[in-house]
Amino acid sequence: MPPQIYEPADAPAVAAVLQAAAVDRLGVFVRGAATKIAPPPCDVILSTAKLTPAVDHVAGDLVATLPAGMPLDQANEVLRRERQWLPLDPPRGHRATIGGIIAANDSGPRRHRFGAPRDLIIGIEVALVDGRVAKAGGRVVKNVAGYDLSKLMCGSFGTLAVVTSATFKLSPVAPFSQTVVATVSDLRKLSDLALAISAAPVTPTAIELQSPPHRLLVRFETTEGSAAAQTKRASEICGQHGATTGIVTGQAEADAWRAHESRIFSGAGTVVKVAVLPTDVGEMLSLIQQLTADVEVGISGRAALGIVLVRLGGDAGTHEPIVDALRAAAAARRGSVVTRGDFGSLGDAEPIMRAVKARFDPQHVLNAGLTPWG
Amino acid sequence: MDPSFRTELARIVGPDGLINDASDLLTYESDALTHLRSTPAAVVLPTSAEDVQNVVRLCRRHGVPFVARGHGTGLSGGALPVKDGVLIGLSRMNRILDVDIPNLRAVVEPGVTNLEITKRVAAYGCYYAPDPSSQVVCSIGGNIAENSGGAHCLKYGFTVHHVLGVEAVLPNGDLVHLGGSVLDTPGLDLLGVIVGSEGTLAIVTKATVRLLRRAEKVMLLLAGFPSIDAAGQAVSDIIAGGIVPAAVEMMDRLTIEAAEAAVHPNFPKTDAVLIVELDGPASEVDELFAIVETICRKSGATTVEIAHDQAQRDRIWKGRKAAFAAMGRVSPNYYVQDGVVPRTKLPHVLRRIRDLEARSGLRIGNVFHAGDGNLHPLICYDAAIPGQAEHAEKVAAEILTYCIEAGGAITGEHGVGVDKKGYMPKMFGEHDLDAMQLVRCAFDPTGICNPGKVFPTPRLCGEVPGPYRQHPLERAGLAERF
Repeated sequence: MPPQIYEPADAPAVAAVLQAAAVDRLGVFVRGAATKIAPPPCDVILSTAKLTPAVDHVAGDLVATLPAGMPLDQANEVLRRERQWLPLDPPRGHRATIGGIIAANDSGPRRHRFGAPRDLIIGIEVALVDGRVAKAGGRVVKNVAGYDLSKLMCGSFGTLAVVTSATFKLSPVAPFSQTVVATVSDLRKLSDLALAISAAPVTPTAIELQSPPHRLLVRFETTEGSAAAQTKRASEICGQHGATTGIVTGQAEADAWRAHESRIFSGAGTVVKVAVLPTDVGEMLSLIQQLTADVEVGISGRAALGIVLVRLGGDAGTHEPIVDALRAAAAARRGSVVTRGDFGSLGDAEPIMRAVKARFDPQHVLNAGLTPWG
Repeated sequence: MDPSFRTELARIVGPDGLINDASDLLTYESDALTHLRSTPAAVVLPTSAEDVQNVVRLCRRHGVPFVARGHGTGLSGGALPVKDGVLIGLSRMNRILDVDIPNLRAVVEPGVTNLEITKRVAAYGCYYAPDPSSQVVCSIGGNIAENSGGAHCLKYGFTVHHVLGVEAVLPNGDLVHLGGSVLDTPGLDLLGVIVGSEGTLAIVTKATVRLLRRAEKVMLLLAGFPSIDAAGQAVSDIIAGGIVPAAVEMMDRLTIEAAEAAVHPNFPKTDAVLIVELDGPASEVDELFAIVETICRKSGATTVEIAHDQAQRDRIWKGRKAAFAAMGRVSPNYYVQDGVVPRTKLPHVLRRIRDLEARSGLRIGNVFHAGDGNLHPLICYDAAIPGQAEHAEKVAAEILTYCIEAGGAITGEHGVGVDKKGYMPKMFGEHDLDAMQLVRCAFDPTGICNPGKVFPTPRLCGEVPGPYRQHPLERAGLAERF
């Protein structure tokens, strides 16, 4: 039987769907814009598409409460009227919803400066499987009252509750932006260059690696004068590392970043996220090169944060051994490898993660089988 | 307490790690919220995670509650011992285990003081960002429990943004690793909940913290304003101008006078001063600082002092950081409140506090993190006058209701602890508190880990329910299950 689809329009209605499903022991899959995961077999699809009341933006406080079903770019369009934004740039931001971005704790190149959703969220409203709606945090940036359930929801993949709205601290939109594009001959050198730039007295919003061709994209978003000065400094460091550099701004810059995103997140294939220490990125890049000599591959990542994204194309049958080898190498460096649907080991924290899941969703109604903790 | 329990404690931590003597226990009967006191049955001073595990397991077997304590600087009674329970003091676990400058990480034990980390890495041009006023003495373990902030958290965030991973002992004695030196450890973000949980979920035995590189340039100004409103307008205009300063602090006339009497920072004698600090690349700071200065003058600043060197910056910060202690110069006793309001509601709430001051007959000093709306009203009283201490407490409580009514929070950095747990239901509904209890029950189903803190009424967790089907009568709304 095909799953029943519900599109509740407010938090109590979401909670009512969950409660009814829990009573009847139906499996619920929570769907935003489905930019990350396709619904697995389930009884009920709970769509957040109608959870789209207006953005509640208090510019003077640099905060906004955003509905779970609203696409990120649409929310940011509203915030930009006051020259502010929620500084997240995950893939497919024109479609990806606030709720989905929280569920996956998803971010993009500007994580280098602004962090991930868990670093920006200050309050949350969720619908629970017992039919109730609960809030945590608040609408002020500084607040240590009670447990921070907002952070717990970030990256929980909808396994604990359904986020119905969230409050974030915002950033001012910078008056000017430009990007240094540095090209090197050796992939591994990108890591050395990224570390050198991150150690310099410049404050880029992104230090992003890209391959092929082997490039580093270093973005500066500040005043025009400071962007010019910092770009000059970054270009000098690139030169010292044997890189050739160009500078893009305006439409060319926007195009460069769009193309950068699409090299990983458009087209078929397996997307692999490798997380290691920043100083281990170089070795991992070398390993990726070795392992993918015969495979169509695209690489990007937050070079100075230790996050590398790899898209493996071509014959899907060849991907598993590559992922296994990367996972072993990352584990040897205290890191991790995650693919869509495969989180790897949760380590010694798995029992307590399962205990938390069991308290929030004792009947395993929500997104069952999606994650290793439930 | 069962003598065999004591013997077992001594076996775990060694005879010199166990404090039984009544006079020695006095040291531990309160944290920095000194009017609340409670004597534990015993204090243990473990030196390893294994010791902590063994003590916790022993407590669990015997159903004895335990409380973790760092350096006892907490202001909300979070480390107040449970009577007849065990206090686990982490001051002997005070080693910096690893410093990794290329990756900007340090691994520390919970008893390391906040400032020690910065001191250790200063030679490399690095520092640990959260800077609570007590940073010289407070412990990282305590900072994690309270999610401590500081003057610079407007731009740099709180402890939760700077702790990448912890090793922790759960209330069942298990040792777990949450987060780590590498970002994005797979799984639920339990680290994000443990930080700020006030020691009610686990005892942290090791932490990996993020280090920052010192900014290329720091600039600071001290501006005097004829009114709090004028200073508040300057803050609003700075934020509206798209500038996020490293710090924005405000003091009113009473706290300026007190600071002047105590540490002579040479602040202007006005109704309000604003301290604004910018940091970052020189090219950016130079440009934005000029804008900040213009905004201050346009908002009616009568004086603007620009700090040209570290000594001058230190003097101004000393005036600000001494404000609490300095109140002793102008009042025999004072009560420090900690509340938060949305920044745009600051003028309104400050006016209400002024009215309250006039009505109550008690002087109220205001010193606050103006950038993030975190207020620290200082209510002056004389304990020698019968009833005045209680009166001051009531006045402090009324200020909290202003914060809640303005859409703020009952604590920005001092925590709920015992002190404010009665206010939790004013800020959160029953559903909200119940949802928090789900976390609590997952970690500590038997309620032995720092019980009686944060939440107003202790609840029993019960077992995780098995398959449950609603009775038709329940579904029809005709019956309720109890």
